Amino acid sequence: MEGLFDFLREEGVEPRLLEGVKAFREAHPVADEYKNRIPVPEYFYYGNETWELALAALLAGKNLLLAGPKATGKNVLAENLAALFGCPTWDVSFHVNADAASLIGTDTYNGNEVVFRPGPVWMCAKVGGFGILDEINMAKNEALAVLHAALDFRRSIDVPGYDRIELQDGTRFIATMNYGYAGTRELNEALTSRFAVLNMPLIKDEDLVKLIARRYPDIDMKICGQLAKLYKELEKKAESAEISDSALDLRGLLDAIALMDQGILSGAALEMCIVNKTFDDYERKLIRDVIAARIPDDLTRDAVFGK
Amino acid sequence: MIKKQFTSNARRARNIIWNAAGDYDFEPPFMAFFPNGAPDHYYNMIIGLVRKWLDIDRIGRFFDSYTSDRRSDEFDEFLWLGLENCVYEKELVERPVMERLRRQRAEQFYIEQANMSRQQMEYQSMPVYTQQQARWAAVLGKHLPVMSPREKRMHEALCFAGDLDTDGLLQAMSEFLMTFFKYEVPRGAVSHPKRGGLLKSLRGGHRRKDHFLVRTGTGEGDHPKAVTLTHDGLGKFVPPTQEDEDYIRAVFGKSTLPESETEILNIDICTGADANCRVWVTKGEEPDAAYRDAADIIARRRHQRELNEKFCADNRAAVRSAVKSLSSGMETVFESYLKHLPEPSRAGRLAPEKVYRMPVLNDSKVFTKDGEETEREVFIDILLDASQSRMNSQEVISAEALIAAKSFAALNVPVRVSAFRSLRGHTVLEILKDAGDDDCRGICGYYAGGWNRDSLAIRLIEHLDDDPHMAGKQRIVLIMTDANPNDSVPVAEAGHLLTKEYDGAVAVSATEDAVRMLRSKGIMVGAVFHGNSSHMGDLHQIYGHSCVRIRKPSQLSQGLCDLMLMLMSRR
Repeated sequence: MEGLFDFLREEGVEPRLLEGVKAFREAHPVADEYKNRIPVPEYFYYGNETWELALAALLAGKNLLLAGPKATGKNVLAENLAALFGCPTWDVSFHVNADAASLIGTDTYNGNEVVFRPGPVWMCAKVGGFGILDEINMAKNEALAVLHAALDFRRSIDVPGYDRIELQDGTRFIATMNYGYAGTRELNEALTSRFAVLNMPLIKDEDLVKLIARRYPDIDMKICGQLAKLYKELEKKAESAEISDSALDLRGLLDAIALMDQGILSGAALEMCIVNKTFDDYERKLIRDVIAARIPDDLTRDAVFGK
Repeated sequence: MIKKQFTSNARRARNIIWNAAGDYDFEPPFMAFFPNGAPDHYYNMIIGLVRKWLDIDRIGRFFDSYTSDRRSDEFDEFLWLGLENCVYEKELVERPVMERLRRQRAEQFYIEQANMSRQQMEYQSMPVYTQQQARWAAVLGKHLPVMSPREKRMHEALCFAGDLDTDGLLQAMSEFLMTFFKYEVPRGAVSHPKRGGLLKSLRGGHRRKDHFLVRTGTGEGDHPKAVTLTHDGLGKFVPPTQEDEDYIRAVFGKSTLPESETEILNIDICTGADANCRVWVTKGEEPDAAYRDAADIIARRRHQRELNEKFCADNRAAVRSAVKSLSSGMETVFESYLKHLPEPSRAGRLAPEKVYRMPVLNDSKVFTKDGEETEREVFIDILLDASQSRMNSQEVISAEALIAAKSFAALNVPVRVSAFRSLRGHTVLEILKDAGDDDCRGICGYYAGGWNRDSLAIRLIEHLDDDPHMAGKQRIVLIMTDANPNDSVPVAEAGHLLTKEYDGAVAVSATEDAVRMLRSKGIMVGAVFHGNSSHMGDLHQIYGHSCVRIRKPSQLSQGLCDLMLMLMSRR
């Protein structure tokens, strides 16, 4: 994972924090059977202030709640953090019917015997991994109450009738929650107080340019700048609730560039990866107008990649 | 459909302008359209860029200064050619695509001209046409049209340079009109305006042409004869009298509440910001057309009902499909968030009282899990803003309310639909459909007129809690609003001699308090927003995150489902 360390050094992240991470890795070796759970990130998260806050919180033994609107890189940062700390991860995607059983484990029977089948949070606690609790605010508050003891100073999980386990020292939970114009829901106070909350900022213009350029080093920098501006304009339109945030998709923008790299004309690539993300015909017109005001629709691969 | 088409194109034009300006918090004073009604992408960008680079308010004021001149349309088009060149040069470095867009616009000009009918050509101003032709020919590198020396000078003068600031530009525009038309622009149009002056003048001047640049008013008046109510000013307020009450009774029908109860309500809820007001709850029964000038309004209400019914009948298929989609979406929401009834299962929560069944009866269903059935213990109140500002969309609003009511009714969820407006110091809540009514046709009686004192209407709905369908149920109030409360009855402040108008921040704050009060009583409140972007801040101040924005009827289903999901998830 030296690539990520080098990247953070280049970004100017406080060296003392990076030393702390190295010490953490040495103190918490991972068993071979769980090594395949350590993520290998495809994209790096840009924003050194956010990195520093997140690293400081995790090194201090805190759990982290990444809150922010769509496309702020919550999941990218969570994955990057787990990769940097070299920890196996258990991903839990929350939904409206998520309950205690789907987190901790459930009763089942084996022959005539009722037995406990461990869930992801239990496994994470036992192995000392990172639990990525994705869209935590989708679940009902009563389902999340079972996490309270695991997330606070007690650092334990007690399953009535079975066992009580202490969380391994390296166990951390990183939750993500989305909020935007439409809003989802607010987390209850008891749960929020057990996290250090990091409000994810929108990606800065210059970081977006760097992100694209790192992924596509051959890209013409003028086009790269225009694509970044296009994304920011869509972001502003979604913020103003003129369009839904369906088309506000950073992955979509990167995918469009990937298609251009394959020889698809810019118009078709952006249509496929950005415009068509929304299914409202009128909204598509608004998005096309924004694209037309930035990017010509007939840019070839050579024009985009300066070849 | 023409109206809808215009509205949708106008919104698209606004979006292009906002995007180019990088700012969504203003109502564009101009918009550009092609003769077929489609937005002119390039020129709308130019309008947005004028906002970005220059002081568009001062420029708008300049344009307004000559509206009384018979050549004003020509002046507009000449000056926009000049502005186009100026902001094009300013923006080109930052947005290289401008060069291509400009060429495309030039090509579009020739296509438009080729398709113009003889009659249209006759209406075309030839001096303007020559200048446009010269501009776009130059852009495309074509030969310039044959021009007189004066026209050539005009062509050169209209290439306003990209390094001009607002002052320089206004000077150039002023010189252009003086040099070529001997028109002297009033001094005030070039100098810095007094605060607030421009807004007033733009709102006052609403005119529309079939093509090219269109001056807009407040953005709400894209309907001929649109009316915007204005305050008469402070100090003229007289509390509602018996005569006002008689008028309200005659126009809206008798009160459904006994007189004593109405009196108690007036004392209980017409307090604070809503002091000096009165309330009136009605089902529109027994209006009195014989009372003075009530006949005219009663006739207009009847006519509007016919229009609403016709709109629903003409769009029967769309309404039916919207009801189907909304009720199925809503069913999913209820199933997800309302309490599931438990059912026996082979895995899940162990049910101790059933454990004996496993060894004795070899029955492995000794666990319980959430079943598919849910309880639907909710009561929905749909509250429609029926003020004058909704006048242009009465048919659409009544159709949307009808769709919502039918969808809830299809799920056996009791729903009551009411409209509110304020007139002559009375906030009138008109119940269009009671929870017990199977028939939803009463909703077509929706009619917009008067002010909207949202704070009092919201307080009032809380007190209408004696419906037998409400017993033991969670109340949810859904308000269809433009988040722009205002009323002619001012806010009286205790200890202050002067009163404040009930509008702007004062009215928003009063409505926010009313919503907070409702929530503190355990009633869920959500808003479906139909207004302008400029009121988004107010919307969030009043309703927090519990709101969705609907821009057209087809978004109602998704919007209402999202809103209900938000509300239910906070239970």
